[in-house]
Amino acid sequence: MTDKSKIGMEFPPHTMVVEKAKIAEFAAAVALKDSKEEIDPIYYDEEVARKAGYKGIPVPPTFMTSCFFWTDGLMDVVKALGFDLGKLLHSEEEYEYLGQIYAGDVITRKMKVVEMYERGQKERPGRFAEVTVLETQLINQRGEVVTKVRSTMIER
Amino acid sequence: MNLTNDNVNIGDQMPVYTSAPITRSHLVRYAGASGDFNPLHHDETFARIIGMNNVIAHGMLIMGIAGEAIVSWTPHKYLRKFHSRFLGMTDPVDWNDAENTKKRATIVVTGKVVKKYEENGEKRIRCNIVAKDLTGSRKLDGFFIVALP
Repeated sequence: MTDKSKIGMEFPPHTMVVEKAKIAEFAAAVALKDSKEEIDPIYYDEEVARKAGYKGIPVPPTFMTSCFFWTDGLMDVVKALGFDLGKLLHSEEEYEYLGQIYAGDVITRKMKVVEMYERGQKERPGRFAEVTVLETQLINQRGEVVTKVRSTMIER
Repeated sequence: MNLTNDNVNIGDQMPVYTSAPITRSHLVRYAGASGDFNPLHHDETFARIIGMNNVIAHGMLIMGIAGEAIVSWTPHKYLRKFHSRFLGMTDPVDWNDAENTKKRATIVVTGKVVKKYEENGEKRIRCNIVAKDLTGSRKLDGFFIVALP
């Protein structure tokens, strides 16, 4: 049940180090590969990454999701907003890339609830959903916002 | 040929990207990589309690596969925005019925350039994308924006 008094609520910030080995693991997972030997070497070899125009080992485009999950984002959201995990669905995800994230960066996530609304009619179960939109800024150790994330969750 | 703003035109198709068939092992690997340990994606007993027949793939894994499709066409450093809407669930391969379940677990990502414009002093390209499985069922749609040199 969405509690609209939570609109505007800010979650406590969380910080994580972007581990080099975690980048290769993520790159292998989304490429559906069994070993890092089979992925693009920019995700594990700094020299190759620099030659390709990066200042370090970059992260795959959806790596930002792990800045949410590895800092207990799901549990934060479920507890603070009272979601039922069995009814929760991820509806939309958007990344706005303002900079790059590299291996060794220290990333702080600042997340807040920006929208809550109902979709459909309560009398028509299956068509009715409660929508919550979260916005997150990912900020590196130099205070630069590197990615803005917008996540839409629905509870059926 | 290097991709540049000048050699990309509205209506151009991104190269079609076809994934391997997604297995439960891939879901476990993605859970460990991303930190998303929602039991719906690896624990069949939990999936049944909430009324599903199977564990299902993480929506974010399908978006990750779409991301892989994008960066195999244009390097990540040019990416400015990536948006996905999740449309359908993906069941992994059942090894005891692999022949009949591989198609539902194989993701095909297609994309098409729809707009060229200037923003923030950069030449940008917007490309709409769709991910379907090999039976034609839609998993995700969305768009990405790149600023090519």
